[in-house]
This record gives sequence, C-alpha cells and structure tokens, in this order.
Amino acid sequence: MIRVRDARKSFGKNEVLRGVSLDVKKGEVVVILGPSGSGKTTLLRCINFLENADDGELTIGDLSVRFKHATKREILSVRRRTAMVFQNYNLFNNKNALENVMEGLVTARGIPVSEARETAKRELDKVGLSDKYEAWPSQLSGGQQQRVAIARAVSLNPEVILFDEPTSALDPELVGEVLAVMRDVAREGITMVVVTHEMSFASDIADHVVFMDGGVIVEEGTPREIFTRPKEQRTRQFLDRILLKYDYAI
Amino acid sequence: MGKLFDIALVFEYMPAIFSRVSVTLLIVSVSVVGGTLLGFLLAAVRLYRMPLLNGAAVFYISFVRGTPVIIQMFIVYYALPILLSQVDININRWNKLYFVLISYALNNAAFMAEIIRSAIASVPVGQTEAAHSVGLSGFQALRRIVLPQAFCTAFPAFGTRVVGALQDTSLAFTLGILDMLGQAQAIGVRTYHVLEGYVAVALFFIAASLLLEKGFAWAGKKLLPNAG
Repeated sequence: MIRVRDARKSFGKNEVLRGVSLDVKKGEVVVILGPSGSGKTTLLRCINFLENADDGELTIGDLSVRFKHATKREILSVRRRTAMVFQNYNLFNNKNALENVMEGLVTARGIPVSEARETAKRELDKVGLSDKYEAWPSQLSGGQQQRVAIARAVSLNPEVILFDEPTSALDPELVGEVLAVMRDVAREGITMVVVTHEMSFASDIADHVVFMDGGVIVEEGTPREIFTRPKEQRTRQFLDRILLKYDYAI
Repeated sequence: MGKLFDIALVFEYMPAIFSRVSVTLLIVSVSVVGGTLLGFLLAAVRLYRMPLLNGAAVFYISFVRGTPVIIQMFIVYYALPILLSQVDININRWNKLYFVLISYALNNAAFMAEIIRSAIASVPVGQTEAAHSVGLSGFQALRRIVLPQAFCTAFPAFGTRVVGALQDTSLAFTLGILDMLGQAQAIGVRTYHVLEGYVAVALFFIAASLLLEKGFAWAGKKLLPNAG
C-alpha cells in the first residue's frame, strides 16, 4: 500500500506539485493522466526520491517518511521497496540484458549471483526475451529495451512499480509489445502506478484513474467514471482533446 | 671535426643515450600515476562543486592548461623552496629530479582532471537514476554503473595524454636532469656532434609514441568490446 500526503514540490518559482495526496491499494493499477507540465512525472519521481519533494509524507507498507526530513537510509529503503520503468528505458549501457536485471538483485539486495541469474532468466523469459540474455542495450530495439527494463523492475519484487510514460519514446509499432507485457504484469497482481497517454490501456487495465492538472489532482475515480462521466470541466476538455484524435477522418 | 652529420654516430651514441631511458620512464610513470590520482581529486571537487575548492580547482586547471609546462617547472623549481622555507622546511638540497617529478605530476593532474570530469559528466543522468531506482546506493551507482562507462569514454583521451606526457619529459633537461635529451646534449658538447644525439632521441620518441598509441588502441579494443 502506498500513501502520499500533501506532496509539494517547486523548481525555483515554478510550483509543480501543490499538495498532492494519493492512495494506492495493494495489487491496484493506478493510471495518472494529465497534460504535460501537470506534475504527474514529478509526483512519480518524488515517490522514489529521484526528486526531493519539499514537503509532505510518504508511506510504503510499514515505512513512513516525511519528504523533507528523509535520511539517506530511509531514501535507500524506500527505493528498495519500489522500482521504476523510465520513458527512455535507461538500461545500464555497460551491462547486457541479463546483467541489467541481475544488478539490483546482486548489488542492492545481496542475492547470490547464481540465484539472481535464475531469477533474471525467468523474468526475461516472461517478457519474451529468452533469446536476448547476452544482448547489449545498443543491440536491442526500443520495445525490447523497455521489456528488459520491465523485467528488471519486476525481478526486484517491489511493493510498487512506477511507470513513467513507458511507451512515449517508442516507435508506434513497438508500443503494443510493451503494453502487452504491462498487462501481464498487472495480471500478476503487482501494484502499479502508471503515467501514460495510452487511453485504451488506461481504461482496460486501470483500477483507478487520477487526472492531474496544474500540480493538483483534479479528479479521480474508476476508469468508467473518468472516461464516460467526468465531473470536472478540465477533465472533459483534456479527454475530448486526447480522444478526439481517434475520431477524425482525412 | 669531420662530417657535419655522420649516421654511424647515431648508432654509436644510442647505447649511451638509451641508458638514460629509465629517467624518462620514471618521469612519465610518476607524472601519469600521480597526475591521475590528483586528477581524480580535482575532478571530484569539480563534479560535486565543493564550495571554495571548486573555484580554486577551476583556476588551477586553467592556469596549468594555459601555460607551458617549462614555466610550471621553473615555478616549482624556484618558488617551491622559497614557499616551504616560510614554514621552515628546507628542500634546497633536494635532488632536481624531485622537482621535475612534482611539476610533471601537477601538470598532468590538470589534464587528467578534465579528462575524468568530462567523461563522468558525459554519462547520462538517467543511468544514475536507474541505478538508484533498483536500490543501489550513491557509491554503488558510481562504482558499478557510472565509472565503468566513464572509463570507456576517457580511455582514448587518456592514451593521448600519456603520449603527450612522454614527450613533455624532454623538457626536464633544462633543469640539468640527465635524461636522454640531457645525455644527447652532453655528448654533443663533448664531441661537437650534436645532431646525431638528437636524431637518436627523436627515433626513441617516435618509436615509443607509436608503441604507446598502438598499445592503447589494442587495449581499447580488448577492454571495451561493447563500447557505445
């Protein structure tokens, strides 16, 4: 279970998060929607301390920390309970696919190499890359790299996986394979928080949809509530604009 | 006096001149090893933007890279004893070679610092973030992810710098160090055959530089099969 209370973050004079509170239940898939600059990525990055929020509180399982006063040790233990999938994959360039998955297990978790290797192979098999163990990131397509990144995140068995626009940097024809893998992950009952612009994915997979704008949560609810009966004007505007693009003819 | 240039003498002088190769190699190795260690410190100061020290490091690096090494050597040779005499340390009787070693190490530190700093800075920040996201500590991220990648970037520039350091050693004779060039000059003064000795030294530098260059290129291929 993840609970964020009143998260605030400014970059200089630019207030990116103006008091965001979010609850994610165990096994739930939460999708965060919103226009660019609404603070959704920043919120995600604050949850694993890639950004230091200025104020607020974070609870992951039995661990509670105040963003402002988090110690190095607390930050590390938050990070060891979370995993992240990045927009640009961020696979370790000096490691092959297998080593990418093993790195966190061996170095951070202290799991014996042989055991970590088995885990890593299993996870790579699950994302359909059983023939790419030895491949370097530069030899993989964007979709394959992102699938390795998902295997890397899942292998850590974290309490939550944070997905930061995982398909935004992909060629359109590679989006499908990554979304399919994410569907599998969701089906396993892993808690996920996903920032995405893939509306059909959101409405299919999400248990809970959050719409953010201007650094606050404007509206949240089930996909059905948000997509079919949005209460807020701002949400309606956003969805109209996003969904419209599937609606025109040339 | 004979001929102005006698090729036979080049080979005749070679053994005497090459017998001083150990001095040259000593200067190169101390300046490269010492320079790299100091360079790491300077690079760390720059990368972590340590207050006060950062400004000093920037100044130091631009001074060293912006002035000829021979001037730096004279500064160390003439100014360091005066500076240290202020705190009652007398180094006037030091072997001149120590001054050369110190000035070359200090000189190389500035170049190495920039090679190291730019290589580390060139590793995308996403690599560190990914390392943190899988639970690596700051130090683990540096050691396991950032430094190995920075090493690949730095390696060719490092090789070039080592070759440069080798050639810089030839200025040590200006302080009266009897390295190969010093020896060639001494022979020239004694026999009036100056050119032959210099040609022998030049041959050494060409061979050594080529060897180093090829060695680094070969090592680069061996060490970095997946560079890029």
